Amino acid sequence: MIASLNGIVKRYDSKLVLDYIDLEINEGQIIGLLGPNGAGKSTLIRCLTGMETVNQGNVTLFGDGKKPFQNKNKEKIGLVTQEISIFPELTAKENANFFAGVYGLKGEERKRRVAEALAFVGLAEQTKGKAQNFSGGMQRRLNIACSLVHNPKLLIMDEPTVGIDTQSRNHILQAVKQLQSKGTTILYTTHYMEEVEAIASEVVILDKGQIITKGTVQELIQNIQHEEKIKVEVSHPEEVSLANIQALPDVKQVIKDGNQILIVTSANSGHLDRILTIIKEDSGVVGINVEKPNLEDVFLTLTGRTLRDGGSV
Amino acid sequence: MMRVLRTIPYTLIRMSRDYITLLLLLVVPIILITIFYFVLGDMKNQYGDLAFYDTAQLMTLVFQLFGGSIVIAYIQDDLFSARRQRILVAPMSLPLYALSISLCGMFFSIFLGFLLVLFTGVGLNVEWGNVFWVMYIIALLAVLSSLVSLILIFSVKNIKLAERLSDVYGIGCVVLAGLFFPIPDYPVITFINEYLNPLLLAANAISYAQSNLFSDAYIYMFRLGIGIVITFIIVYVLGRRKI
Repeated sequence: MIASLNGIVKRYDSKLVLDYIDLEINEGQIIGLLGPNGAGKSTLIRCLTGMETVNQGNVTLFGDGKKPFQNKNKEKIGLVTQEISIFPELTAKENANFFAGVYGLKGEERKRRVAEALAFVGLAEQTKGKAQNFSGGMQRRLNIACSLVHNPKLLIMDEPTVGIDTQSRNHILQAVKQLQSKGTTILYTTHYMEEVEAIASEVVILDKGQIITKGTVQELIQNIQHEEKIKVEVSHPEEVSLANIQALPDVKQVIKDGNQILIVTSANSGHLDRILTIIKEDSGVVGINVEKPNLEDVFLTLTGRTLRDGGSV
Repeated sequence: MMRVLRTIPYTLIRMSRDYITLLLLLVVPIILITIFYFVLGDMKNQYGDLAFYDTAQLMTLVFQLFGGSIVIAYIQDDLFSARRQRILVAPMSLPLYALSISLCGMFFSIFLGFLLVLFTGVGLNVEWGNVFWVMYIIALLAVLSSLVSLILIFSVKNIKLAERLSDVYGIGCVVLAGLFFPIPDYPVITFINEYLNPLLLAANAISYAQSNLFSDAYIYMFRLGIGIVITFIIVYVLGRRKI
């Protein structure tokens, strides 16, 4: 096991920020830590890395539960901070060199690792450019390179894609997958569920300081999957027999909306073929769309609120 | 220890590229001193020396009082802003890193003072006397100003307040020294200027050395040294609490 949190409680004065958190991070995983703003994600990271002392519970890093935050263990951790924390006056290469030195890299190895880290984030051509002249996306990528330069076993990424363009976001997500394939374990926090769905091998959903659920994306969705929506676009909607569709078992609702027929069925009812057969008897089928639940629906089901803004629906 | 030492070249590079600081602590004094050079011309002081010498020396020392702003800015950036998280997670000693930043800031301030001495001495023929003694006194003044700035940043929560208080320290010393307008001869003010005002302690240490009155020069140097020891103890106590 790379790291674990056992019964972690963190309070700021009387405000409970982390409420008995239990979390295990195993080697080679990408754990997507998902939650709305203020859920406690950043505090969890601060407790995991020793930046904050915990009020209760234990942190174990690399099997070390007695002195988890000693330098020997810190050397194996890379942190991509939520806010860009590079030195704007230094060049990309100097920034990476600074952190390489801090993590004890020397000589040829240091040169090689700096070059590799900058190339990995797509900044090989901008090594001599000052960070302050970089775009937001490039600064984000340099922020990541500085965390990778020492080849950490555990990379913690705290909302690394906030405020950047789609191209840089995709580059970062691809980089995360590549890192996993090289054996790096990643804890990735975000409030963008699309990112977690794209990269995470396990998802942990945090809300109001509590882990409300965890598992793979599929597991989480299956747990809340009660129904699916099938939208069929037809050429002659007036001729389609809605009653025949409604008569099928597990079909809960059939609605005609213009050229579209919306059929709500129980999850995994397996009726798609039969529904299409019925419709084809009366009309041509122009298009089909089956809407599956996503992590947003998981969060909505468990909390009654939307993930992106934490607002009620 | 070695890991912190490896950061020092980069801290110095950052400082050397901090163009606002260079403008305020090097370019502005050079411009002001040059203006005074032309304004005062051949005007003599009460001892028959060029009045411009006194002005150039005092202005060089005055800008050392504001050198502490370098330390405030870098301590704030690295230890009390977004970068703090990354530094905290790194496998190195945070107090040692803070010390390295402070020493770099002091060194940089001393270096800027050296450039001013060089410019006034070589460019404007100001007679400084023993340059090594002058640099030693400037170094003491820079260290003291940096320590005062550290006390301020460790004492208040708001960085802007620390910066303003640092300005108050610098301007207060200048005002008490009577450089803006004549100061009444009250015993309290005389005591402050004789024992506490680092600007006048440094100026007197240099002035007496120029007159070969080294026993008096040592007294003022010693008072500066006492100030450094006291402020260092305060910084140590406050720093342990804050970092």
